Amino acid sequence: MSYQAANPLAEDFDVELGGAWTAYWLAIVRVITGWWFFHAGVTKLIEDGLAYSYGPMYLQEMTGTALGPIPVWMGENLGWAIQALVPLGETFIGLALMAGVLVRLASAFGAFFMTLFWVGNAGFGHGLVNSDLMGLLLFLTMIVLATGRYYGLDAIIEKMEFVKQRPRLRYLLG
Amino acid sequence: METDTTVVDRIAMGLSGALFLLGVVVLGFVEILAGPPYGAAPQTNDAGEVIATPLVDPNLRTGLVIAGLVVLTLYGLYRLATPYFEGEDQETPAVTHG
Repeated sequence: MSYQAANPLAEDFDVELGGAWTAYWLAIVRVITGWWFFHAGVTKLIEDGLAYSYGPMYLQEMTGTALGPIPVWMGENLGWAIQALVPLGETFIGLALMAGVLVRLASAFGAFFMTLFWVGNAGFGHGLVNSDLMGLLLFLTMIVLATGRYYGLDAIIEKMEFVKQRPRLRYLLG
Repeated sequence: METDTTVVDRIAMGLSGALFLLGVVVLGFVEILAGPPYGAAPQTNDAGEVIATPLVDPNLRTGLVIAGLVVLTLYGLYRLATPYFEGEDQETPAVTHG
């Protein structure tokens, strides 16, 4: 049996990258990942509005991590913005993924959030590969596979003339 | 598939992949071979006292993964910044129906 590096699934049990099951599953994973972030964000908005004070506090406690002084500086100097951006960011990232709009851009922000969660959260009591790293991998997967094109609005938006004339937008859409 | 990749693509894939795998898998094996604790967190006894610390600083391992993410980010920005050539196709097939 030959092995196709481009599509190892395209042999006896054929699962094409553009096939129905792949599209179905990528859409499911995208929407559930979106719900995960939407729920995290919208519940913060309900509880604390735009004053999520734990956000800057969390960043200030990230001393001695691989990210160096960056998160601590952010927590100390951008606290007012962090308080609003964490709940809003999570909510909008979630909405974007669920609707399939600007999925790559939203996922890039999601990956940024998850990097901060992964590095700052755990002390790695459950190992270096924990659920936070898996969440980060999910967002990278959204970017690589452009999952907004599968039952997402990005599939429609990318067909618009505006995008066709500006093909680089497909790096943010999709 | 290989014909679709440029030198920059291959550098981005190779470097980021190497950084990810070094940080997570290779140094993970080193951690196991070095004995307890087998993970990135210190081992404690019932009283909560640290009785063994990881051989490899978790900051090094997470730092390698972050470096891999930075490589991919820079690659993405590079792709955004470079001129677009007619006929260049970055799309995966759009699927809007079953």
